[in-house]
Amino acid sequence: MSGSSKSTGGGLFAIGYSLLFFAFLFGPLIIMTITAFNSSSFPRITPWECFTTDWFGALIRDQRLMSGLSTSVGIGIGVVAISVPLGLAGALALSEVSPRLRTALYSVLIIPILVPGVVLGISTIVFWGSVGRLFGGDHGGIFYNGTFLTLAGQVTFIAAYAMLVFIARLQRFDPTLTEAALDLGATPGQAFRKILMPFLGPAIGSAAFMALLASFENYNTTVFTILSGNTFTTALASKVRLGTDPSLSALAVIIIAVTLIGAMINEAHNRRQELLRTGRASRSRLYTNPVTRWLTHPAGIGIILLGCAAALVYAGSEHDSRACRADLIEQKRAVQERLLQEQRQRIEEQKRLQQPSATTPPQPSNNPSPFGGAFSPGGLAPGAAPAPAPSTNPSPFGGAFNPSALAPEAAPAPTPVPSANPSPFGNAFNPGSLQPKP
Amino acid sequence: MTSNKDVVLDHVSIRFGAYTAVDNAFLTIKGGEFFSFLGPSGCGKTTLLRCVSGFVDPTEGRVLIGGKDMRDVSPNKRPTALIFQNLALFPLMSVAENIAFPLEVRGVGRKERRKRADELLDMIALPGTGDKKVHELSGGQRQRVAIARALAVEPDILLLDEPLSALDLKLRQHMRTELRAIQQRVGLTFIYITHDQGEALTMSDRVAVMNTGVIEQVDAPEAVYNRPKTAFVASFVGENNALSGKIASAESGYAALETPAGLLHGVAAGGRHYKPGDACILFVRPERLMLARDNDSVNRIVGTLEKEEFEGNIRIAHVRIGNAMIRISRVNDGLSAPLAPGENVTLAFSPDNATVLPVSSMAEVDA
Amino acid sequence: MKGRWQEFAGRHGLGVALFVGLGVGFWILFLIALPQIAMFDFSLRHNLPPSEIGGAKDVYTLSNYAAFFQSADGSANVLDMGVLFKTMLAAVFVTIIDVLICYPIAFILAHSARGVAARLMVIGLIVPFWVNEILRAFAFRVIFGATGVLNGIGMGMGLWDSPIDFIRADIALYSGLTYAYILLMIFPIYNAVEALDRNQIEAARDMGASWWRVHWRVVLPIAKPGIASGATMVFMLTAGALAAPQILGGPSNLWFTQVIYQWFNEAGDWQRGSAYAAILLLCCMLFVMLVMRVFKVDIGAIGR
Repeated sequence: MSGSSKSTGGGLFAIGYSLLFFAFLFGPLIIMTITAFNSSSFPRITPWECFTTDWFGALIRDQRLMSGLSTSVGIGIGVVAISVPLGLAGALALSEVSPRLRTALYSVLIIPILVPGVVLGISTIVFWGSVGRLFGGDHGGIFYNGTFLTLAGQVTFIAAYAMLVFIARLQRFDPTLTEAALDLGATPGQAFRKILMPFLGPAIGSAAFMALLASFENYNTTVFTILSGNTFTTALASKVRLGTDPSLSALAVIIIAVTLIGAMINEAHNRRQELLRTGRASRSRLYTNPVTRWLTHPAGIGIILLGCAAALVYAGSEHDSRACRADLIEQKRAVQERLLQEQRQRIEEQKRLQQPSATTPPQPSNNPSPFGGAFSPGGLAPGAAPAPAPSTNPSPFGGAFNPSALAPEAAPAPTPVPSANPSPFGNAFNPGSLQPKP
Repeated sequence: MTSNKDVVLDHVSIRFGAYTAVDNAFLTIKGGEFFSFLGPSGCGKTTLLRCVSGFVDPTEGRVLIGGKDMRDVSPNKRPTALIFQNLALFPLMSVAENIAFPLEVRGVGRKERRKRADELLDMIALPGTGDKKVHELSGGQRQRVAIARALAVEPDILLLDEPLSALDLKLRQHMRTELRAIQQRVGLTFIYITHDQGEALTMSDRVAVMNTGVIEQVDAPEAVYNRPKTAFVASFVGENNALSGKIASAESGYAALETPAGLLHGVAAGGRHYKPGDACILFVRPERLMLARDNDSVNRIVGTLEKEEFEGNIRIAHVRIGNAMIRISRVNDGLSAPLAPGENVTLAFSPDNATVLPVSSMAEVDA
Repeated sequence: MKGRWQEFAGRHGLGVALFVGLGVGFWILFLIALPQIAMFDFSLRHNLPPSEIGGAKDVYTLSNYAAFFQSADGSANVLDMGVLFKTMLAAVFVTIIDVLICYPIAFILAHSARGVAARLMVIGLIVPFWVNEILRAFAFRVIFGATGVLNGIGMGMGLWDSPIDFIRADIALYSGLTYAYILLMIFPIYNAVEALDRNQIEAARDMGASWWRVHWRVVLPIAKPGIASGATMVFMLTAGALAAPQILGGPSNLWFTQVIYQWFNEAGDWQRGSAYAAILLLCCMLFVMLVMRVFKVDIGAIGR
């Protein structure tokens, strides 16, 4: 390898660049994965609080996401059922028309991929809305139904994706096979069913998979066509826009795990096929030993991986991070206590020094903290005032600057410290920001 | 006397736009005949074959099989089976499924299909390979499977489109014999397309030589080789020396040609009548030339030996005569010594071994 | 045309021919052409209450388009035009970055990686893109947020002592967009470069060409259609992106799709939204066609 790869761009540069590239590709996913297990209410790695699996529970309890999921599954199935045949029709049409017509037809059919998703979404609701008016339907009719509109909007471009898959496969089809079938007495329909369709089989599978995935993940078109409803992705997007919490990381972990398992099974399948095709299988030790043969079979690998996943899920569900978090609260309280003590002392000293003038202590809102309000893009809840001494010890208060960390999961359990604290600074500490979620 | 297995091309022309692929083909292929179309690539022979099998409609003329006009009969309804150049075996099916495919589409039951496939596998000497995948077979085996699949249709006519071109030399030579043997066993009409004259000459009962859409000559292999009717056939089939010149005199089937190498006599091909001054070419094959030791030959050419190539069984001497080069092949009989370059040699040949053809001799069908 | 149809039906059967004809016809007419025409028609109308639709006031108008160029007070609508310009510029920027990042990796994948490494690379490329687009954007928010991973590490190591606002600086948005469509850049380039015969590279190297020259003269011309295809798709998707700007965009920084979204979902003025969508579509298409002409690339290259 080294000899030829050197002359064609291999070597250190290639390896180094590839590593950097894949670090960029996987870095965000890995970071997200790690944050799913941190008990901190904002997804982050530092400071590490407690290992927890609670975010998975929080994810499953999210009603909106789960109802969106069922909508998405329904739409996905519908999109696959319509767009795969349409894509096949497009690819077949392209394979048969004259070269000049082919270019024109290809340009038309490829347009939906290029048109921005929002434009597709808008044109879909506008068009079917006017069709609805034409038939005098009321606003409860099918043309005003979010699921129908989403189906129409998504099929428009997903059929083009499917078409590309079929075109690629058809290019490798030998048309003399169809001619041979006809010559051997098959009717055109039989030739299509018995020769071309089996050949397209794998492409139908991958087109269906792509269509399902594309339908599931689509946001730009769906956010318009779903009207007042929600698919999984639109529910997810509004959740992200409202505020971030690690249950989204947990979701990413699930998707990544499923993806990896799928990829590994697929790879095992491909390798097996290749071995069988080249006839090396009989010579390979892995395939002659019955145990390793079973272990390298896609189904075997699938069962093993699923078993591992199930074991991990079980272990995760049994994990209890309450003790750790209680410790953490204790620690935080200690830190707060210490800070308050220090501040109290400072105030006492100030009071002693400025006894005659009798000024009030500076209010936190007047505090020209370097944090300002700048770090609260979503608009901070009013209670989220900056911490008093950010430069000296910013990290425990980090969560205070996060818009999401404050509002929804404001903990019911009151911390004893602020209430026991007579200091005028007491209100400045937002207990919720420090409190892990229950 | 027409049989079911006769094929008649009745003034068939096939045009694609302005391009003429086949020009006025007219011939009859008799039932049970091994008939070859021989020509360079692009001469229209494959188009003609696709026309017989029904994938291309003739622009003019008719194709008759067993006396019936085949216009509007689709490929799957014709009594022909085509063996494709790339064989077109179905890669996703097993060998037996491939062979039984024609029966499958005709609604024959699974058991019966398998039985018939096994019989055909026995016939092509590949018993027990029915459950293999196509890609597990060797090139020669695939070849035979393709033939078996075509025979499963029980066709009257088998069409073969250069089926041996993908095989290596040894296998190709072996398959020639085998194809001929199969043809004689099943007694079908074979129409064979090739650009390889060796294949055409060894296997065929008759050969049609094609050039740029035109059938130039239809004859038995010996006749095609020995008595070419056009300049193209003379130069395309086998090795030939060509000497061009003008007719000096012509009488009783012979013609004398004034060439740069002197006055030479040959047979006026196909009983043509030449007039003095006609531009013609005299063809004489390298193996019909001899090194002349005496002076009594009618045709004598004097030249200088440029080089002699040794090919094992024969030696090929290249002799320069003015601007022309003449090749002469001599059997390596172990007696004659190699010639030295620069040596003056005299070549002689009998007028019966030379053919005089007009320069632009298109097909002048004299049938 | 009739001959083609008969040939097609003769080859695959009448049922298949009907299926293809009807399928493609339905797709083009009801999913592609008519909706676009309807949207365009809609953008030329006034925003009327449902009772007045079809009534006397329902006449064609250019006011929705005029509003894009001119504010209500008669001054030029710098805000909306600025947003469109910025969106296109940023999309171009993201596309160029993607080309620069993806070209080497596509070349390495096609010509340097072998066996297991190549297979792993392909899986490694695809797997991240099975993760939902929203979650991918979310990952960048996790990294770049004020209390995100980058600020946490940076401040933990003492590199800077107050959080840097990556979101307001649009760094998060550009990174997220660069990441989002990387796959659509790599595979077209890979497909194009893969067709290159290794011997050509070796021959050029053998004749003493430098690495730079080999790529410029031998590899790039082959890769050009792939780059054009990838760049077109990345540009269109980036300019038309909605999720990433909504999640990663700064508070004062709008993407043009967000403006459209606001007209639709917040202002409820679908006509204005349609007009803006038409403007976006037109600008993107014109820009892509212009660039394709400049680089002499055919639309048939897209999607290969």
